[in-house]
Amino acid sequence: MASLDVSELKKNAKIEIDGHPFVVVDFQFVKPGKGQGLYKCKIKNMLTGAVIDRTWRSGEKFEPANVETKKMQYLYNSGDAFTFMDNLSYEQVEMQADLVGDDKWFLLDNLEVEVLFYNNRPVGVALPSHVIMEVVESEPGVKGDTATNVTKQAKVQTGYAVAVPLFIKVGERIKIDTRTGDYIERVNS
Amino acid sequence: MLAFGERVRLWDQALTTVRAHLRARGLAEVTTDLRREEVALEPWIEPVASGTAWLVTSPELALKLLVMRGAGPIFQLAHVWRAGERGLWHRPEFRLVEWYRPGAAITALQDDVESLMAALIEALSPWAPTRVAPPRWRSEAWLDLFAATTGVALDGDESPEVLAAAVRGTAISSWPPPPAGDDEMRGLWSWSALFSAWSDACLDPWLAERAAAGEAVHLVEFPPALAALSRCDRDGAGRGVARRFESHAFGRELCNGYDELRDAAEQRRRFAAVAAMREAAGQPAIGLPEGFLAALRDPGLPECVGAALGLERLVACAVGAARLDEVSLEP
Repeated sequence: MASLDVSELKKNAKIEIDGHPFVVVDFQFVKPGKGQGLYKCKIKNMLTGAVIDRTWRSGEKFEPANVETKKMQYLYNSGDAFTFMDNLSYEQVEMQADLVGDDKWFLLDNLEVEVLFYNNRPVGVALPSHVIMEVVESEPGVKGDTATNVTKQAKVQTGYAVAVPLFIKVGERIKIDTRTGDYIERVNS
Repeated sequence: MLAFGERVRLWDQALTTVRAHLRARGLAEVTTDLRREEVALEPWIEPVASGTAWLVTSPELALKLLVMRGAGPIFQLAHVWRAGERGLWHRPEFRLVEWYRPGAAITALQDDVESLMAALIEALSPWAPTRVAPPRWRSEAWLDLFAATTGVALDGDESPEVLAAAVRGTAISSWPPPPAGDDEMRGLWSWSALFSAWSDACLDPWLAERAAAGEAVHLVEFPPALAALSRCDRDGAGRGVARRFESHAFGRELCNGYDELRDAAEQRRRFAAVAAMREAAGQPAIGLPEGFLAALRDPGLPECVGAALGLERLVACAVGAARLDEVSLEP
């Protein structure tokens, strides 16, 4: 891909550094009138999520990252690989479990996600901000305990364990924040 | 942030005040074409092409041509364009107040800057959320301030190699080495890279401290390699210096002033060094402004001083804004 001039950098630009795709999350241009401009950026590694500072001088070039996102449906996993299907072409792709990471706890069958492709290989999943899952295992709440900040452990379909309020029962559906992994609320069906 | 309607009235007052102030100080307002066949070559300032011509990066060449023809003291409020400059304090199109005073001393320009800033702070006070006090001005010589902020004493005429060795191990130690080429280009490359690195690491924080203490600074007597379009001679210590200044107030660079270079051969060498630097950096070629250079030879430029001041920044600073778009009428 053709390299781009640093003056074309902007927020959300996706660039490649040392074989990793990064997205520009913050961006500041400073320049002494008769001096060289500096592009002070915060960039996020799209594979690891790590955010680092990076400054470019005007005139420098960078490589755009060959990344794209596709809306896909999660189908199933075989333990070491997760299979997704393109909603438009019905094409299926497999992603290694280590790339899915902890996101696997929120991958419900048929969940719609955005799959990140880097150099045409699936490398990551962008989940919806929350998912609704069913409690499959939990101790019954102790009768009479009404304190609101007391929680117990509950397990949902994927095997994920989450702290929930005592009133939550097996078979009920709960909303979970996919970024923090925390219980949000009970969903009344 | 001011409501849009208030910003409209703020700008009306600002433009009225700047014009009235400069007229009262003996300058006549002129207007010159801003799309031109010739543009001044300066390092790190990228002009915008308009068909086969350029949108000016400043009205400098046009105004000097008028001064050569005997225009006397003049000013222009000019729209100018600089490609790729967008940030909290940069817009790719902005307004410069540029003015020339034939026969005057460079300190007359500094008086203009100080009095204009004070007048604008006063006139725009109804739009300032909290009272803005006019700063107390002081002057600092470039090499002295460089030494004070880095601990490195320079003479101003160091070669690229000596310069790189002198700042090794300081906060400004790293910039790309100059490409192969003649001494003038390599010197320009290194000194402007040094200036850029120093600005970011040392000068800006120092200026912010001065601003917090209510002070503004004319940075004067630049190293000759950074002379741009100003005249060079020697300071009291015998060091070569460029007779130019930069005015910084409220932590912002607001104005550049020159004791104007009148030597056509010297001016050609400097433009050629910028052209060589552009070529070495792989930037598109810009032809030398041959018409301007011919006029600089004959009829020639009378002794004069000139300055250019960023109007949006001045207005923003005068009302205590934290960024240009707090006062601008357009995004």
